[in-house]
Amino acid sequence: MTDVPFPNVPREDARQKVCGAPIFGADSPRPGLLHAALAVSTIPKGRILDIDTLAASATPGVRQVLTHQDLADLQLPGFLLGGYGFQNFQPLRSPDIAYRGQPIAVVVADTFEAATEAAALVRATYAAEAFCPTIDSPGVDIVDQADTPMGQFLTEPVAADADAAFAAAPIKVDIELKCPAQHQNPIELIATVAEWEGDTLIVHEGTQNAEGVRHGLARVLGIPAGQVEVISPFVGGGFGQKNSLQMQTALAAAASRRAGAPVKLVVPRTQLFQGASFRPASRHHVRLGADVSGTLLAAIHETDAQSSRIDFFPGEYAATSARLYGWSAFRGLHRLIRTDTQTPGFMRAPFEHPACFAMETAMDELAYAIGMDPVDLRLANDTILDPITKRPFSSRHAGTCLRRGAERFGWQARSAEPRSMRSADGSFVGWGVALGAYPGMMVSNVVRLTANSDGGVEIAMGAHEMGQGMRSVIAAVAGRKLRISPGAVTVVIGDTRAALQQPTAGSWGSASAALAIEAAADAMWKALAKLTPDGVVEGRSPSEILKAAARDSLDVETMVKPPGQPDDVFGLLRSGLVSRAGPVFDDCVSFSFIAHFVEVHVEPRLRRIRVPRVVSVADCGRVISPRTALSQVRGGVVWGIGAALREASETDPRYGGFLNADLAEYAIPVNADIGRIDVEFIDEPDGLLESGVKSLGEVSLCGVAPAIANAVFHATGRRLRELPIRIEHVM
Amino acid sequence: MQPFTYVRASNVGDAVKALSRGAKLLAGGTTLYDLMKLRIERPERIIDINHLGELKHFDTSGERELVFGALARMSEVAADAGLVRDYPAISESLWRAASQQLRNMASLGGNLLQRTRCPYFRGGEPYACNKRDPGSGCAAAEGLDRGQALLGASPSCSAVYPGDFAAALVAFDAEIDVVGPGGERVLPFEELHREPADTPQKETTLEPGEMIVRIRIPVTPLGRASTFLKVRDRESYAFALASAAVALEMDGDVVRDARVAVGGLATRPWRARAAERLLIGRRFDESAARAAGEAALDGAIPGRSNAFRIELGIRTVTDALMTARQRA
Repeated sequence: MTDVPFPNVPREDARQKVCGAPIFGADSPRPGLLHAALAVSTIPKGRILDIDTLAASATPGVRQVLTHQDLADLQLPGFLLGGYGFQNFQPLRSPDIAYRGQPIAVVVADTFEAATEAAALVRATYAAEAFCPTIDSPGVDIVDQADTPMGQFLTEPVAADADAAFAAAPIKVDIELKCPAQHQNPIELIATVAEWEGDTLIVHEGTQNAEGVRHGLARVLGIPAGQVEVISPFVGGGFGQKNSLQMQTALAAAASRRAGAPVKLVVPRTQLFQGASFRPASRHHVRLGADVSGTLLAAIHETDAQSSRIDFFPGEYAATSARLYGWSAFRGLHRLIRTDTQTPGFMRAPFEHPACFAMETAMDELAYAIGMDPVDLRLANDTILDPITKRPFSSRHAGTCLRRGAERFGWQARSAEPRSMRSADGSFVGWGVALGAYPGMMVSNVVRLTANSDGGVEIAMGAHEMGQGMRSVIAAVAGRKLRISPGAVTVVIGDTRAALQQPTAGSWGSASAALAIEAAADAMWKALAKLTPDGVVEGRSPSEILKAAARDSLDVETMVKPPGQPDDVFGLLRSGLVSRAGPVFDDCVSFSFIAHFVEVHVEPRLRRIRVPRVVSVADCGRVISPRTALSQVRGGVVWGIGAALREASETDPRYGGFLNADLAEYAIPVNADIGRIDVEFIDEPDGLLESGVKSLGEVSLCGVAPAIANAVFHATGRRLRELPIRIEHVM
Repeated sequence: MQPFTYVRASNVGDAVKALSRGAKLLAGGTTLYDLMKLRIERPERIIDINHLGELKHFDTSGERELVFGALARMSEVAADAGLVRDYPAISESLWRAASQQLRNMASLGGNLLQRTRCPYFRGGEPYACNKRDPGSGCAAAEGLDRGQALLGASPSCSAVYPGDFAAALVAFDAEIDVVGPGGERVLPFEELHREPADTPQKETTLEPGEMIVRIRIPVTPLGRASTFLKVRDRESYAFALASAAVALEMDGDVVRDARVAVGGLATRPWRARAAERLLIGRRFDESAARAAGEAALDGAIPGRSNAFRIELGIRTVTDALMTARQRA
C-alpha cells in the first residue's frame, strides 16, 4: 500500500466549503436562542470587592446577569496531568482576578446588542495587587521546569557532556534570541451554543477536542460526562487555541441552565486576546561548537519561556532542536517565567517554531563563522540516528529536502557575502535557508466502520476537521484499504454522540487517522471473510460480499492504539484525556522535516522587507491528500512569514493584558505580503505505519522564520535575533 | 449598544437642522460603527445622509477645479480615470487606504473625519485618554509609543491623524464647503484639523451643527508628477508608519513648483512648506529630495520607540519625490 502515491483529488468538503454550507458552532440556529456577553476585569490582578449589576440588569431585554456570587459552585477544570482546561482557572468561580480581561460577569439577553450593552454597564470595585505582566517584568518569578509538576514527565534532552565539548570546540557560536508572545487569531472566534435537553447538555462549539470539552464541562459543572454531548463538525481554524476547554463554555452552559433556554456566547476578538491561550514569549540561549571542517561537536539550547501564575505551561523546545543534526553532545534546559496573564498554550508549532528559529539562526551564524555554505554545513551534519536516544529515525530525508530545495531554488547561484546581491530595482537580495523539524506523534482511537451493500461506507471516529482536510485523509485511506472510491466514504467526526473523540492537535491527525482506519479496515475484511463461503476477499468489494451473503450492512468496531502504548490508553480516551505516543517509539524516533529556501528583498532606501519567493521541500512520509497537504505547507509558510516579519502581541507593562488586541493592530500577513510559495514533497513512505504517513501541518511553519532572518542577514549584513524583524531593525 | 434615534435626512438643510448636540452624521459608517462598538462614539441620534444624492457626485473634468461631493465613495473616486492620469497622488492616497470592502462603503467626507488609531484611545477603560475623556490624562505619554505622532503632539495628546487622503488634499490646497445653521462657508482644508494642544477632544474647526458637503481642489499642472507613498507594517490593510504626498513641476532639471505633505507622523494633516521652499528653484537630485525630507520632519520630537519614524519619514519623502520626478 505504501508504494503507490495517493492521487491529487479535491477535498471531500470542497463544494460545501465554497458554497458556505458548513454550520460552525456559533451558526447553530435554534428557536428561543438567547445571547450572552461577558463583562471583563479592568485590573490585572487582585480581587473584586463589589460588583454592581443594577444598570446591566435594568437594560431592556436582559434576562440575567451572573457573577461570582451566582456561579461559586463551578469547579476547576484542571490543566494537563488529568485536567481539561486551557488553564486551571475558571472565571466567575471566585472574586479573584488573575489577569486583565478576565470575565467577571456574564449577561444573558434576548439580543446580542442588549447583552453587549449591559455587559459594558457592569461595574466592579477591586482590591488591586502588584503584578508582573511580561517576562521582562522586574521581580518576575522564574522556576526550573524540572521542579514543576510536568517536569518529571519531560526530561531534558541530553547527550554526552555538551558543556565540556562546547568549551573545547575550536569554533563557537554563543547567542541569545527572543520570540514574542503571539495570538492564534483563528477567524472563527471562540464561541459556544449551549442547550439543555432535560439533564443533558448539548454544546455546539468549534473545538479540536470535543471529548476534552465534554469531560471538562462535566467536571466544572459537577455532572456526569454521560450527560454532556459536544458537536463540532467544522472548526474555523484552531491552531491550538481550541484544543482544550475554554473559559466561556461552562459560562454559556450554566447560563443556559438557569435561563431554561439555549444560550449563544461568542467571545469578541478583543476579549479573546485576554481570554484564551496564546504562544508564550520565549528567550533562547544557544551555543554551538564545531571544528573547522564544520562538524558539530556540541549544542546547548536553554529556554526561558512565559507561563502564568496560574499554571506551569511546560516547554518542549529543545526536544525538537536536539533532533535537527547529528551532534555528539547536546544539552537542553527549560525554565518557566510566571506572568500574571491567562495561561499560554499550544499555538501552531508551539515550541518547534521558536526552537528552530533559535537553532537555525545559530547554524547560519556558524556557517559564516566557519566560512562554509549554510546548506553544506547542514548536509555535513545530517544523521540517521537520533542523537539523544541513539535510535534510528523512523525515516529522515532532511538531507534530500535540502538538496532538492537548493536545486529548485537555484541556491548554487548565491554569493555568500552579505549585501552582495541586488535585484533589478536596486533592492538588496538575501537568500536564506533553514531546516524545520516536528515530532511524529499518534493517538489511540475507537473506530466504528460500517459497510453497506449499496457500496457506501460510514466511518465514525475521533478526529476534528479544522480546515486541514481531515475528512479527505480518512476517506483516502479508507478508500484505498477497502478498494472503494473515497467518494463512497461518509465520515462522521467531531461529535461525541458518534464516537469517542480524540483531540486533533500536535500534527498527529493524519497519522492517527491512518493508524485507526488501517486497523479498522483490516478488521472489516476479516469480518467480511467470514461471510464468504471460501473465506476469500481478494478481488471482491465489500458490497459484493454483503450482497452475496444477503446482508444489508456490516458493522465493525475497532480499538486501535499506537505502537508501544499500554492498553489503559483506552481508559484515558474514555476520560477525554490525551494519550499521545511518540516521537520516541520502542525502536525508532519519528520526526518530520522540511527545508525552506527564502528570498527576501530589502529596498535600498525605505528598507521595506519583502518575501517574493519561498521554496519548501517537506519530508512528511507518504502524502495521503496531496491537495490539502499542499495547502497545509503554504499556510505554514504564510504563518512563518507572519512570525518572522509581522506578529507580536504587545503588553503595556503598566496595565497588563494585550494592547494590540484586534486584527487591525495585530498584523497577520495579508495576501499582498505573500509571494510565490513553491512546495515539493519527498513523498517517501515512513516505516511506522502501513500508509507511510508522518506528521505534516505544524512542521510547515518550522524553519520559515530563521530562513527569513538568515536571508535578511544575507541581504543587509544585520544579524537579527529577535522576532519580529521590522523596518526599524534594518534601516 | 446604547439605543439611539435614527433620522434619515432628505436634504442637506434637514441634516444640518437635525445635527444637534449628541448627534452624528452617518455616511459610510466605517469609522462610526467601529467606534460605537467600542463604545467610544455614543451618539444619541444618528442622521443618515446616504440619501442625499446631491452629495454623491464628483467631477474631475472641470477647468478650474476638481469637485467631490462629500458622499462620493472612496473606491469610485480612486478609480476615476482622469484622477489616475492627472492626479495620481490623490488616487493613490485612496487606493492605499483600508481594504476594497471598506473603500466601497467609506465616503470622502467621512474619511476626512476618521478618528485616530491610538490604541489607548480605542482601548477604552482603563487607559487614560484626554481625547476620549478630557482631563483624564494620556496613557500613551509613558506607554507603547511606536505609533505615536512625532509632529504636532502636545503633552496632553500624541495621537496620530490616520488618514491618507488628507495628505493629498493638504498638498493640493484643497478647500471644503461646509454647511451649518448659519449657511454655507468655505474652509481651506488645511484649517479643518486642529493640533491637540490642551484640547485634544476638539479635532476640527467645524462649528456645532456644521457638515462637510464638498471638497474642491484647484486644477494644477502639479498633479501629473505626483505620488502618494505609504509605508506600513504590512503591504495592505494597515495604517501608515509614515506616508508622503508629493508633487513636482519641473523646468528641465530645476524644480519650478513643489508640494510636500506627510501623513502618519503628525497629529493632523501636515503640509511641509519648508520642504517645498527648499526644492523650488533648485536643481532636483537625490540630495535635494533628501534635504526636502529632512525639512519636512524638522521639529519632530521622538518618544521612546518611535524615533525611527523620523528617519523613515525623511526617506519616505525622499523616495516619493524620486517617483514624482520620474513622472515629471
